[in-house]
Amino acid sequence: MSTDTATTADRATVSLAPVLDLQAAEPLRAELMALRGRPLDLDASQVTRMGGLCLQVLMSARKIWSEDGVCLTVDQPSLAFSEQLAAFGGPELQSEPEGELS
Amino acid sequence: MDPFESIKQTFFQECDELLTDAEQGLLAMESGEADDETINAVFRAVHSVKGGAGAFGLEDLIRFAHVFETVMDEIRSGKMELTDEVAKTLLRAFDVLADHVAAARDGGKVEEGRSQGAYSELRGLIGGEDEEDDLGGGGDEDFGFVPLTLSIEGEEAPGGFIDLDAQNAEAGVEIPATDQASRDELASWTVEFSPKSEMYAKANEAGLVLRELARLGETRVTLIDDTLPPLDQLSAEQAYVSWRIQLFTDSDEASIREVFEFVEDDCNLIISRDRAEPSVAEPADDGLSDDDRAAAASANADLDIAALLARVGGGDADAEPEATPESVAELPPAAPPEAPAEDVAALIARAQSVAAPPAAKPATPAPTPAPVAAAPAAAAAPAAVANAAPAAAASVTIRVDLDRVDRLINAVGELVIQQAMLSQRVLESGLARSSNVALGLEDLELLTREIQDSVMAIRAQPVKSVFQRMPRLAREVADMTGKRVKLVMEGEGTEVDKTVIERLADPITHMLRNAIDHGLEDPEGRAAAGKPAEGLVRLRALHRGGRIVIELQDDGRGINRPRVRGIAVERGLITEDQVLSDEEIDNLIFLPGFSTAEVISDISGRGVGMDVVRRSIQGLGGRISISSEPGKGSKFTMSLPLTLAVLDGMVVTAAEQTLVAPLSAIVESLTPRTEDVHYIGGKDAVIRIRDIFVPLIDVGVALGFRETAIDPASGVAVLVESEGGGKAALLVEAIQGQRQVVIKSLEANYQQIDGVAAATILGDGRVALILDVDALVTTQRRKPAARPSEKRMAS
Repeated sequence: MSTDTATTADRATVSLAPVLDLQAAEPLRAELMALRGRPLDLDASQVTRMGGLCLQVLMSARKIWSEDGVCLTVDQPSLAFSEQLAAFGGPELQSEPEGELS
Repeated sequence: MDPFESIKQTFFQECDELLTDAEQGLLAMESGEADDETINAVFRAVHSVKGGAGAFGLEDLIRFAHVFETVMDEIRSGKMELTDEVAKTLLRAFDVLADHVAAARDGGKVEEGRSQGAYSELRGLIGGEDEEDDLGGGGDEDFGFVPLTLSIEGEEAPGGFIDLDAQNAEAGVEIPATDQASRDELASWTVEFSPKSEMYAKANEAGLVLRELARLGETRVTLIDDTLPPLDQLSAEQAYVSWRIQLFTDSDEASIREVFEFVEDDCNLIISRDRAEPSVAEPADDGLSDDDRAAAASANADLDIAALLARVGGGDADAEPEATPESVAELPPAAPPEAPAEDVAALIARAQSVAAPPAAKPATPAPTPAPVAAAPAAAAAPAAVANAAPAAAASVTIRVDLDRVDRLINAVGELVIQQAMLSQRVLESGLARSSNVALGLEDLELLTREIQDSVMAIRAQPVKSVFQRMPRLAREVADMTGKRVKLVMEGEGTEVDKTVIERLADPITHMLRNAIDHGLEDPEGRAAAGKPAEGLVRLRALHRGGRIVIELQDDGRGINRPRVRGIAVERGLITEDQVLSDEEIDNLIFLPGFSTAEVISDISGRGVGMDVVRRSIQGLGGRISISSEPGKGSKFTMSLPLTLAVLDGMVVTAAEQTLVAPLSAIVESLTPRTEDVHYIGGKDAVIRIRDIFVPLIDVGVALGFRETAIDPASGVAVLVESEGGGKAALLVEAIQGQRQVVIKSLEANYQQIDGVAAATILGDGRVALILDVDALVTTQRRKPAARPSEKRMAS
């Protein structure tokens, strides 16, 4: 599994795998789906490479978290993650419904 | 490294390239070969240097580049005529510009008088403008530079300075109006890129493609995600999102398409060139529907944002009178476009195909692009380089630290040695040549060779980097000597190992100085000789026989042979009655201490003679020769190995030592017959090979391995040729075979030895010396008693 999960109360944290490529896309999707409905922190500090498929998974997750009105945040993005995200056109990955964040 | 410092270094690297381009253009302008594009290219190069300098607050450079650029602008707009005098002024000023760049890079200052002189010359060309205006001090010039303070926290080395405004945008810093101006110089393209699932399945990455695209210029990337389903309906390996990229670049469509070379079959791709922004809102009577216009407005929205950034970033509002109204600034950052990507593309294409510019409705623009962000700089961090998929990396260049390449080359060198050792062990073990192990080793050898060639190709560089310094040198020497010179360079793209290139600069510099200072006559002298007042010096590089040859030819007076001979006799280098061929007299100038300059000049006579040039060439495993024709000029020819890392050699045995003779010097080998060998003065052997006699040099004796020569009939003669054309036969006991060997410097590890160029490690682990054939032949030819002229001996 490319990611690991730690849960504090209802809030979950997913550490994104360093390499988010073709192989990582489906496991990431499955892992995120399993956490649907819970406020989620994506720890992007270890990411060294992010491909288009995993980007889709994260954007898609943002959609559903947003629809559910649940908070989704990206924490400590690595430089590579930020750069790659910018290269992709800087899509929004966080969902911050009002009142969810302190 | 400090991120700011890293950006700055990249800027200076880019400056080197820009200055090279500018100089080439200026030279073309001087020779009357420049077209509009050349003049534009020089303008752009200087403009870019100024733009970068503005970002770093390099005041002196900005000031000088600005006036230079202004002159170029006058020329390109036809307001100033490009005369010979203007071109020469620009070239002189260019040297000062280059000095300003160097001073900004290395610290220090350009000599005030020189800088001011060139500055005044340029200003003189423009006419009597007020200096304050010229420097943008008036406040309403389009180049009102405000030195910037970049705030970049915790970022690693970004790439080219051309992306600075992207960095700035992200860091929330001001963007100078010049960046916008710079962008205006470039063509704007819209690229619609929609990956298919197959693209990802083949391990190609959209991100890498976008990165590669960003290398061509500034990009504004819009992600289109309207077909992206929510996570519960998403198939993780299917492609949903696409991108629309606006690219500002001077590259053509083919170059843009090349970025997609490996994914073109697995994506939908539309590349279209944008038209310029409309200067004023046009009447809406253009035959377009409202939807079309809305879509066209959307297509232009990126440009508007670019203009807006410049305005918001402190650029004077007057500088952009055609910019879109302020209301755009109030747009929300991003409602995603509602139409599917294909529809948007089609609409844009339709809108762009109409002659009239889109009548943008700035107050109510159609869907603005989704979050706009420039791709990060492309000079990727090492990790990104390593991760680059072949698809994207194949069509672009990368900057790699030279240390890494050197380590790779050393490692491959060791691999070659290990492979040779392994082969040797297998041979010694008595395994049959047809055994699987032996066959496998042969394959390994081929593969090793291929790897080595490929690795060496990585470090190969065009000699341009050395040649590009020469025009300036020629100008300076010509100015100092009062001569007129035209330097013509050919073959600048000829590639040679970087280690060779680095050591080529001094010899070429010295020879060029000599050619102008001593070779060319002054204008009066040339006129008297019926030559054009302007002397011609031709510098040429080419590959020949696995070596690189550098030729430097002048059309000056040629070598004054009676004088050279007289000096050589006077200095005891030759005896008065010695009979020398023209070639031998010409080569006297390479003898240590020989100098024909009666007055030591500032230019050539810096205590360095041609003997030093020859020694440094020989130190590179090269040879230098001269040919001259009185009254018509001289030609120096340097021949150098393409690399200092490996060598194809003939492995021979002499005095029980294993030695290597460079294959490039070997003409043939033969078994001497006793009747063909003769002795001059009873001791110096010559051998008859077909119709000529050549010295027969016993290598074992020449290198001091033994006192007496072997019987020639018991050994093998290897006929070698020196660069000067002199031949000799090297007598050895046996030939072991041909092999590629890895060169290990003797100077670096021990000391220089006459007759030995370097050393290598053989398959059995022993050290073998590599013969310096030229030195062996020259030493033999210079021995007074052993000067058998081939002609005389043959007669």
